[in-house]
This record gives sequence, structure tokens and C-alpha cells, in this order.
Amino acid sequence: MAVRFDQDRLGRLRDTVAVVGVGETDYGADYRGAGGKAMGKGEARVDHYTLASRALKRALDDAGLTKDDIDGLCTGPTLSSERACELWGMNPGWSGSGDAAQCIIEATMAINAGLCTTVALVYGNAQRSMNTAYGGARVTGGGITSYFYYAPWGLTSQGALYALFFQRHKLLYGTTEEQLGAIAVAFRKHACMNPNAVMQKPLTIEDYMNAPYVAEPLRLFDYCLINDGGVAIIVRRADMAKDLKHKPVMVSAIGWSEENVDATQLRPRLKDFYHTAHHGVAAQVYPMAGLTPKDVDVFATYDSFSVHLLASLEGFGFCKEGEGGPFVQDGRIEIGGELPCNTSGGMLSESYMQSWNHQPELVRQLRGGLGQRQVKGAEVAQYVHDVAGKCKSIIYTRQ
Amino acid sequence: MATARPIRSMDPYAEQFWTYTLKKELRLQKCSDCGKFRWPPGPTCDKCLSEEAEWAPVSGRGKVLSWTTFRRKYFDEYPAPHTTIVLELDEGPLFVSYPVDVAVEDLRESMVLSLRWTDGQDKFGEYNLPVFGPPSA
Repeated sequence: MAVRFDQDRLGRLRDTVAVVGVGETDYGADYRGAGGKAMGKGEARVDHYTLASRALKRALDDAGLTKDDIDGLCTGPTLSSERACELWGMNPGWSGSGDAAQCIIEATMAINAGLCTTVALVYGNAQRSMNTAYGGARVTGGGITSYFYYAPWGLTSQGALYALFFQRHKLLYGTTEEQLGAIAVAFRKHACMNPNAVMQKPLTIEDYMNAPYVAEPLRLFDYCLINDGGVAIIVRRADMAKDLKHKPVMVSAIGWSEENVDATQLRPRLKDFYHTAHHGVAAQVYPMAGLTPKDVDVFATYDSFSVHLLASLEGFGFCKEGEGGPFVQDGRIEIGGELPCNTSGGMLSESYMQSWNHQPELVRQLRGGLGQRQVKGAEVAQYVHDVAGKCKSIIYTRQ
Repeated sequence: MATARPIRSMDPYAEQFWTYTLKKELRLQKCSDCGKFRWPPGPTCDKCLSEEAEWAPVSGRGKVLSWTTFRRKYFDEYPAPHTTIVLELDEGPLFVSYPVDVAVEDLRESMVLSLRWTDGQDKFGEYNLPVFGPPSA
């Protein structure tokens, strides 16, 4: 397929937008106090909007801005923008919706188009309270684009799709379950350095190997949490981002590439490991930022399942295809290692905020001062979103 | 009475597919203009956008790409453990199914399996379910 992006135009957006505020709810308390668990299944004490509102307030405080400074809004998939704006008393000049990376990309475009200057990106999800299920008979109404299509054969859940993915990786490359386990162990180690992470109990490789399989070859600790929480991020036109509470963190590159052909058959997953999409995004973000994978100090990937990290490290060129297994071992992806990954604990151990939680973490790593969790001298942070054929990436830098 | 299965996702295209299974025929849509087989069924060919298609029989042979064994019960109709596989059919499409007459530990990458039938039933009625096992000698 022909080149679909214009590097010259893309390059002009480099460092034009800055992250000026981040905030999230108290994930641990949200988890322990999940309304549904306390009050009976399905009866939420908090809802998506409660959690989103709390995070928004914290992000505004972190930026030193008020809601009246906000003229653009991007909401996560659980929120209706109309209701959110009503709750928060906002009449934005532009609004959008999507996953975290999508919202950052769209806000960057909207700001550069001149539609707005200061965008709040807000996410809230009371999925634990609401007893959300990601597999099985309760996921009904699944049409052709859903794994539920294969229910007559017993296939269900995203986890099973990633189990098929990892099994294929094992078959082709000899990747071992112990190697995969190194990912969950590393992320847990990071969570234990993060007071806001849900999971605070250390996890050894023995614990990992002794845990039950869910969809073999994936075990319990390869799966993300299901928990409540909210996240908000404030981005602003870079020339208006000075003299706020924190030194701004720049959005230095954005990239987006999709791989949907034969998706329902699982071809992009099983025959390509989504690498075509990864390569498409890599070709955008590294030239745009004027950087290479070697320059990345902190890395985070969408980790609803541990396997995502193998795929993105290989696809973005941190190691060769098929060598993700050996790469993630020996502390290489841990804080203090060559490429610290998902330093907050990620969605496996910090909070399943559908990747929104990774953004504040990367921003804070670049601001510095995270204590034992701090990646020393972090100047470049990359986020990779790699879900169901939609690959996006953001590179943040400290100026 | 046929075996109860988790409910099928039904639309006019799926209905056509399942109707053929009552005769134990595995047929997939084949574009009448460019010849590409497609699965799951739908209104157009992703290669040439043609709406013209026939329901063509497939050989029923495929190579194993991957599999997963569920150790947790998700569907009452499938107590754990149970295994699903993904095959690459000779005609091109990848096909999700489950293995029969072969132990999970004997499954291998690229192993050739061929079509078998078992029964199934849900609120839309009875049908036959295409499953895959070692080719008969």
C-alpha cells in the first residue's frame, strides 16, 4: 500500500502541544471499596462519571488551571460527552472521544487546527462495581466483529485471543511461559514501588508459574485487573504551557496505523502479530520526533494481557521479530534495566484504565522526582497502543 | 436432541451458512468476480467490493495455526477444560473450530486436520457444527 502519511506535515506538529496536568483517582481505595462488591452485585455506588470527575479535578489542580480554562474535551469510551459537559459545566469549542492515545492524537490535531487551545482528556470506569464481564455468555449480542461470533465452538474472551496469539509465538519462536512470566513479574515489581497501584504484593516467577491457567497458555497473572478508577490529562498549546505549575512535557510524535483486513479470522494476530501496523506507526513516530528506539528511556504498552509487550517490542524494533521472549528477561524491562516498561505496574498490576493510566505515569517519569520508581535521566517516553488492529503511539519528551 | 451450544450470532449471511450445515456441507462465500473466499460471511468482497458471491464448498482440509485450552468455564455448554483451534483452510480463510479425536498434546503447528461434524442446537434451532480431526486413512 502507498505511503499514507505526510512526514512533512506530521513533523510540523512536533512539540506544538504539551501535557500540563495529570490526575487519577486512588486506585487501591477504588478497588477495595468497589461499590458493587460492597453493596451487592450490579449496584454501583460510584459510576463512570464520579470517577472521571475526581480525576478531572486533580488534573486541573495539577496544572494550576480551572475548568474555565478548558475549551476542548476528549472523553473515554464509557462517557457521553454531552452528559460529561453538562456535569462539568462546560461548553467546549471542540470535543472528541476514544482511547487515550486516540484522544491525545485528536487533541493535538484540534489544537493545531485552531479549534481550541486547552483540552481535558477524561476517563472514568466503574467496571468492577458494575461487574463487567469480558467473556462468556453475558457478553451477548456480539455481532460479526466480536469474538462472540465463535461462541458455538466455545471461543470467548479477549484473553483467549491473546492465548492463541501467544501459543502461535511459542510454536514459531520457542518462546517459553517463563519468559512471558517475566513481564508480569516486572510489572508487579513496579507496582510495588507505586503507592497508587492496586496490587502491592510482590510476585515471583514461581508464583506466576504456580498460578492457574485461564486460557492456556495464559495464566492468571497474564490478565489485567478489572477495577474502578478515573484518569485525566490536560494538554495545551505549547506556547501557552509555560509558567504553569509543572514544566510542560511535550507531545513530540503521534502515529496511527490500522491492520483490519481479515481481522475476524484473526489473521493479523496469528499470521502477523500485528507487526504491519507496528511498522506503519514506527515509520511515523521516530522520524517525527527525530529519534530512534535506542533513544527511548521509558516505554509503556497497552497491557490488557502481558503478551502485548512481546508484540510491541518486536514490532517497534526494540528487538528482532521472535526475540521478545529473551528480551524481556534478566531485568531488562525493569526499572534500572535497559528499557523500563510499564513503570507504574501497568494494567496488570496498577490499574486497568484501558491505557489511560499509562499517560500520567510517562509524564511523571519525564517530570522527575518519582523516588525509587524514577527512571534515572528519563528524557524520552514512548507509549504504544496496540489493540485489535488499531496501533497508535505517542512519544513524549522533556525539553 | 442435539447438543446445546452457546448462542450463534445470527444474521441473514450466517443463517445461510448454518443452513448448509444441516446437510453437512461446509460452504463459504466465494466472490463471483475475483474468486476470493471469505469468512465470516458478509455482503461484499473485501478484495474487489463485489456483492456477487456464491456459496462454494471447501475441501475441509486445513493446517493448524494455534490453539488454546480453556481452564476456566465461560459457557455452561463448554465445561473446562475444552480446547479451540484455529486452522488455515486450503482455500485461504482462517477458521476457528475445535479439535476431535486428537489429544491436545499431540497438536502440532501446520498439522493437517480435516472436517468432521457434530451436532448443535440453540434458540435458532438445530444445526451441525464443523469440527476438525485427523484425516481418515
